[in-house]
Amino acid sequence: MDPPQPAALMEELVEEVLVRIPPDDPASLVRAALVCKRWCLLISGASFRRRFRELHPTPPMLGFLYERYSGVDFVQTSSFRPPHAFREDWRMLDARHGRVLVMDVGSFSPMDTEFIVWDPVTDGLQKLPILEFHPSSWSAALLCTTAGCDHLNCRGGPFLVVVVVTDVFGQRRTSAYTYSSEQGAWSEPITVQHHNDCILRLHRALVGNALYFNYELNTRILEYDLVRRELSIINLPSKFHGWHIVLMEAEDGRLGFATIQESKMSVWSRESGPDGYAGWAQQRVIELDKLQPVSDCNLPVSPDVWAIAYPPYVVAVADSVSVIFMWTDGGLFTIDLKSNQFKRIGEFISNFGVVPYTSFCTPALSVASMGDERPTTDASSA
Amino acid sequence: MASAGSGDEKAAAAAMITLISSDNEKFEVTEATATLSQTIRHMIEDGCTDGGVPLPNVTSKILARVIEYCKKHATAAAGEEGSSSSFSDAAFLEVDRAFLEELEEFDDAFLEVDRATLFDLILAANYLDIKGLLNLTCQKVADSVKGKTPEQIREMYNIVNDLTPEEEAEIRRETQWAFE
Repeated sequence: MDPPQPAALMEELVEEVLVRIPPDDPASLVRAALVCKRWCLLISGASFRRRFRELHPTPPMLGFLYERYSGVDFVQTSSFRPPHAFREDWRMLDARHGRVLVMDVGSFSPMDTEFIVWDPVTDGLQKLPILEFHPSSWSAALLCTTAGCDHLNCRGGPFLVVVVVTDVFGQRRTSAYTYSSEQGAWSEPITVQHHNDCILRLHRALVGNALYFNYELNTRILEYDLVRRELSIINLPSKFHGWHIVLMEAEDGRLGFATIQESKMSVWSRESGPDGYAGWAQQRVIELDKLQPVSDCNLPVSPDVWAIAYPPYVVAVADSVSVIFMWTDGGLFTIDLKSNQFKRIGEFISNFGVVPYTSFCTPALSVASMGDERPTTDASSA
Repeated sequence: MASAGSGDEKAAAAAMITLISSDNEKFEVTEATATLSQTIRHMIEDGCTDGGVPLPNVTSKILARVIEYCKKHATAAAGEEGSSSSFSDAAFLEVDRAFLEELEEFDDAFLEVDRATLFDLILAANYLDIKGLLNLTCQKVADSVKGKTPEQIREMYNIVNDLTPEEEAEIRRETQWAFE
């Protein structure tokens, strides 16, 4: 007997349907994999993951990491939740290309810092060798170093960690240490001189082939050229001094920053002019007074860490998805620069406490790879 | 629906195509409407449309709906070409936006069909290779899966669960977060 119509459709065109499950709803994808063997094999397969990424060109924001005194929490903004959402004794540093860089303060001694690279989707942890430095004024960044990678599915490939730290006394010199997973060791430091200043821990951006870190006085930015392995200082115009800015990759692909001045959120990007002179141009202005939140997630983000500035200010930027986090008197909000959607996330949150996490999360279930030669961890997610 | 020989005969003479449904009903449509289907576009390019295009996999009921979709979207495509000239003033953008909104409303209303019709539309969109319609209809089904349990999905789409209890338990263990 012929199967009923719906079943017939599902045989033929089920992939067409399942690849259209939104990438920020990985739980629906997982539940669909439990429908029957065929769906399970299909969703877990490499060709499905490839099609899924073709149809959804940007990895979605699955959530953000948020720091408490006692550790790091993963707050979900999608249907994804990591197996261990709270990590005691961690301090967060960076998240990029599907992975998160944290430091473990449980095993922390003043001079020895243990860094951990964590994949929230697979829950895989990789501890780096101890780096000896004085962590008083410093920052760190993590990035994938797979050659030619489009960074849509670089999970599991080689990575680089860059730690920048100012001298303890005087703070007139910044050093950079790098850890390459391929070499498995920390490099000797390189240094650059500057006026007295401190590095801000969670203010960094990757733009092209360079990492950028911000200093506390907001008079200068540190540039680490990943190709030439050189440090240099970019001085900021005096009109920006004292502003609270968050570095980002601007929509034009250049170094930029987001800031809030007098109830206006603005995005600036760095322009190269004649004779190599670089100025800053205002790209976007959004008047916060005129925004009405489209939704209120009302997530329980508790006031564990005290803020260091008065609201409103920009807390973090998820530049790959063009989302800006800001704290106002009304709580934590996001603005989507593409859709102009303004959302309330929840209550009070700290100034330095948000690291957005973007990644694909398509399940690769071990049931689907039974009898398969490949190791199951290979394709654990995408 | 079948409107052979009516109205604007000057334009029609050169650019009308006859589509024939599985139950032998004839539909006359403009080439612009018909070529939203890549399948028909290729047939026109190969010069095999004389005497009409038989579509043995599509009933007249579904073909009428498909043509309704293609007519609307062919007009939209023509409108887009018109406005992509050097004019860029606000009035044009305003017209574009109004048109896109209207198209969105049309699509929403178009999807107000029962499940069997929706599935027939997907099969037709796939067979005729109409990307926009395939995307629209498949997205509707994908959205219907959101928030549903595996049991509910099986029931909705008449699917038999052939996973063993052990396999099911293993998947649930690996992806516990998705079931909480």
